Amino acid sequence: MDKSRRKFLSTAAVATASASMLATTGQASERLEHNQEELFSVLVDSTACIGCRKCEYACNKTHELNDNPLSFFEDRSVLQERRRPEHDAFTVVNAYKDARAKEGEAYVKVQCMHCNDPACVSACLVGALSKDRHGPVLYDAWKCIGCRYCMVSCPFQVPAYEYQDAVAPRVRKCNFCTERIHNGERPACVEICPNEALMFGTRKEMLDVAYGRMSANPDKYDKHVYGEHEVGGTSWIYLTHAGFQAAGFPVLDVQSPAEITENIQHGIFKSFLPPLALYGLLGLIMHASGQKEDSEDSKNA
Amino acid sequence: MKKIFLGLITLSIIVFCTGAVISDEHTSGRIDCSECHTCDRPTTKEPCLIVCPRTAAAHNVGKHSLGEAPDSMVLSSLENLYGPVSFDHKQHAEMSEMGFDCATCHHYSPANEIPPCRECHPAEGVSVNLSQPNLKGAYHRQCLSCHREWSHETKCVVCHAPEQLITDGEMTEDPTDIIGISHPVITVPSKEIYTTPYEKGPIVTFYHNEHVDLFDLKCANCHQDENCGYCHHFEKTTPTAKTMEEIHAVCNDCHLKDKCSKCHGLEEKPPFTHDVAGWKLSKYHTDLECRNCHPTGKRISTLNDNCNNCHAGWDQTNFRHTVVGLQLDEIHMELDCGDCHEDLHYHQKPGCDNCHDDDRDYKKEPPGELLSM
Repeated sequence: MDKSRRKFLSTAAVATASASMLATTGQASERLEHNQEELFSVLVDSTACIGCRKCEYACNKTHELNDNPLSFFEDRSVLQERRRPEHDAFTVVNAYKDARAKEGEAYVKVQCMHCNDPACVSACLVGALSKDRHGPVLYDAWKCIGCRYCMVSCPFQVPAYEYQDAVAPRVRKCNFCTERIHNGERPACVEICPNEALMFGTRKEMLDVAYGRMSANPDKYDKHVYGEHEVGGTSWIYLTHAGFQAAGFPVLDVQSPAEITENIQHGIFKSFLPPLALYGLLGLIMHASGQKEDSEDSKNA
Repeated sequence: MKKIFLGLITLSIIVFCTGAVISDEHTSGRIDCSECHTCDRPTTKEPCLIVCPRTAAAHNVGKHSLGEAPDSMVLSSLENLYGPVSFDHKQHAEMSEMGFDCATCHHYSPANEIPPCRECHPAEGVSVNLSQPNLKGAYHRQCLSCHREWSHETKCVVCHAPEQLITDGEMTEDPTDIIGISHPVITVPSKEIYTTPYEKGPIVTFYHNEHVDLFDLKCANCHQDENCGYCHHFEKTTPTAKTMEEIHAVCNDCHLKDKCSKCHGLEEKPPFTHDVAGWKLSKYHTDLECRNCHPTGKRISTLNDNCNNCHAGWDQTNFRHTVVGLQLDEIHMELDCGDCHEDLHYHQKPGCDNCHDDDRDYKKEPPGELLSM
């Protein structure tokens, strides 16, 4: 009896393990099925950015975030502080040290990166965040319950929250000007950029342009297109000279956080095997202990 | 066997013909096809030429003079949020001489023409060539790369008048008031005397006028990349101090092989005379420009005293000896040049030893009649 039980348990364990392994591998191949031809992207050439903050102005105006006039954005002193996107500023420009740049500093625009495999979408309990097939990561305030898991999960710390609104606060972040894109226009920030530091196109085109510039001016660019592979790739990709770490971007794994966590969770519960095994085990224990009691009862009798 | 042989012959003929056709065309194999063509197989019907050939040859815009260029222009292709830009071309063109000349802005222009910016940079939509900015980007990159360097600002109104003000008629300043204004004349020093920490020769005399007028150097030969921001700096009033290497690097472009004492001395050095070079210029050479004999580039090329350096065509049949003030007599006229001028070194003293044993001097007993020069 003992032998057969041990056998059963070990078989069950192996079966569970291999099932979850299968589930894991199966899951990985299902991810990232974006059509690169219809996935839009913006290439930010940080070496061409002059820190004029026109993108901030255009963004504020398009999304009706506030009434700040153009002159408000001519204040360049704010560039020195490393800012994050806020509930009333979906994009911000920061300065960082770059010895090659004329004034010893280069500028980088920060906003939602629109990950190919967004951690926020994965973390959202109620599906308020979704990934559009054209690239934008979209937010639906009606579904949102305000748990702010998206803010915690974002590897770039982008989503902001309307803490000051007691009644109906929302998570706020760049939506890639999704209405404009669907109307065949470029995002507002790309449209206004006077120096064409921002370029809009399909992700494939933008990667081609990025590598083209890199090979044409090998001294001008760091050999890393940030966002090409980070967290499974992002829709916004960056070229810098001083390197992405100098520009303030985090060092991130190629695998997206969503992929890692979902593989573990979905793997375990795949095909309902672990619960079955658990309940099977419990049933066996009950059965065995019941038998034991029976035999003890019969002995006593 | 025979078949293989025939096959080989046919193959070699094909290869030869193809090679001949290609080399007959403009490709000698030195230019990469992709420099001019966008497709892999260009044909005469569809040459698929790149709009702006960015070949090294197209960089040369040095043949244009300021006189050809407009004084001012109105850049109005992209009026939208802001009014047109009144651009003082003259002032920019004049001052570009201290940097990269016209090519500072007119990059990739062929030698014989300056194509308008919009020929390569489309005014609307996305560029044909994605890596080439469209007109708005091209304008702003050109202007702002320098302008923000000295103003430390990226305000639009530095160049543009807001469209709103124009339509409302509230413009207080005349945007065209900069038109045709030249940069204030920069006083060029004729001589600069520097005191240096070099103990063996603290005084350095630099004749600026000689380098410009005599040696025909262009401003940019020494004043490299000294664009507007070099002087017009928002924060600094004097150019930053240069390191020893940086100071010497400017002179070393030409004077690398010279000794320290060429420039450094205990006292002020006299201006340049050709005697310093070891050859006092005679009557015929004093009127010449340096470049007539030393034509090559920025550096003054070294010549030896062989007349043939410049007068390559002269030989015994066409050289009139009277130009040096001596009419040779009949006997000496028949001799070879090298009989008197040893090893054809005409600048050295000619010798009579080849024929005469009496140690005679050519000046005391000239081989002909001396002419008054």
